[in-house]
Amino acid sequence: MSCTEHERTQLLADGELSGEDARAARAHLNGCAACAAQFAEIRALGDAVRAGAMRYRAPARVAARVRKAVAAEGAPRRGFWLGAASGVGASALAAALALAVLLPPSAETLADRIADSHVKAMMQGPLIEVASSDHHTVKPWFAGKIDLSPPVKDFKAQGFALQGGRLDHVDGYPAAVLVYRHGGHVVDLYVWHGARAAGTATRHGYAVQSWVSGDLDYSAVCDAPPSELRQFVKLVRGEED
Amino acid sequence: MDERRRRFEAQALPHLDAAYNLARWLAPAHADDIVQDAMLRAFRSFDGFRGADARPWLFAIVRNCARDHAGRARGRAQVPLPGEEDGAALPDPAPGPEQQAAGASERRRLDAAIAALPEEFRTVLILRELEELSYREIALALDVPVGTVMSRLSRARAMLKDGWMTP
Repeated sequence: MSCTEHERTQLLADGELSGEDARAARAHLNGCAACAAQFAEIRALGDAVRAGAMRYRAPARVAARVRKAVAAEGAPRRGFWLGAASGVGASALAAALALAVLLPPSAETLADRIADSHVKAMMQGPLIEVASSDHHTVKPWFAGKIDLSPPVKDFKAQGFALQGGRLDHVDGYPAAVLVYRHGGHVVDLYVWHGARAAGTATRHGYAVQSWVSGDLDYSAVCDAPPSELRQFVKLVRGEED
Repeated sequence: MDERRRRFEAQALPHLDAAYNLARWLAPAHADDIVQDAMLRAFRSFDGFRGADARPWLFAIVRNCARDHAGRARGRAQVPLPGEEDGAALPDPAPGPEQQAAGASERRRLDAAIAALPEEFRTVLILRELEELSYREIALALDVPVGTVMSRLSRARAMLKDGWMTP
């Protein structure tokens, strides 16, 4: 039943032949029942596998873990937030922390805190604790974990795709953080109450934009150019108005 | 963000699903860890990657990671039987309602028959029929000669036909 040309027939069925080789192999099929049957069988089996076999897709948790691990690798080996802390004496640090708790931060120091927190989450994780692009999943996740309900909206069509959220802290205040993806960048949106500071700043290549709306404080942070972050903030603010 | 990460996110990360699919077919219980290891390894060695399509290169790393995992987990023998766990499967092209009942059990049998193939045959079959790689790309991914790809594929098909067609 097998023909000496069966290897060429396999190559033809798998699309490995072109031009004159393919034409010759096809011509052979016309006169050889064994090869014609073999060809049809290979194609039918391939079609059956493509149509019927499981094709798994990476679950969101795996995608999030991979992105986090890669982001951590790509960040500076020695994070500036570690470097900053290591150069300061323990007592000076304690004094600074005490002051920070007592005084509401200015927009500048707020930008530092937000950038630190963002980089820390990227490097050490967790960046995302609830991974979903569905606001019906992300918003309820915060209920009972924090005493505020952040506005959750996906802006995928505008280039900022909701990835999920996490709990974090800003100056010791609990914050709800919504995580978005913008091209190759991760955008964090911090929502909390306590700072009452507004402004924009760039810290170590991270753009930070903060504002106050109603009784909530907002800060968006990203390593994309500030103009792109502004675009994101417009989307978020448009949503609240 | 540095240039390597940008390139990696553009060229390698889009194939995360394909990498996961291969890992699931190689080691269903450890696919999460294998893929995470593999993508991190890929990122670390991404400077060495030159080419248009990162898939063969990624598949080679996934396979190495799967082998490392199997080495670590030796003794805990397991027969892979995909389809029962929580991994998200791409829905198949929607079949007509009348085909659905018969289709589901038929697909399960097909999955079981593929899962029952020895690893080296299962891998070539997945790479050729699901990922539609060329012989050359499969040879790159498996680090074997093209002739070996050809003979393994032929053997894999014969085994699958036997396992699937025989009730």
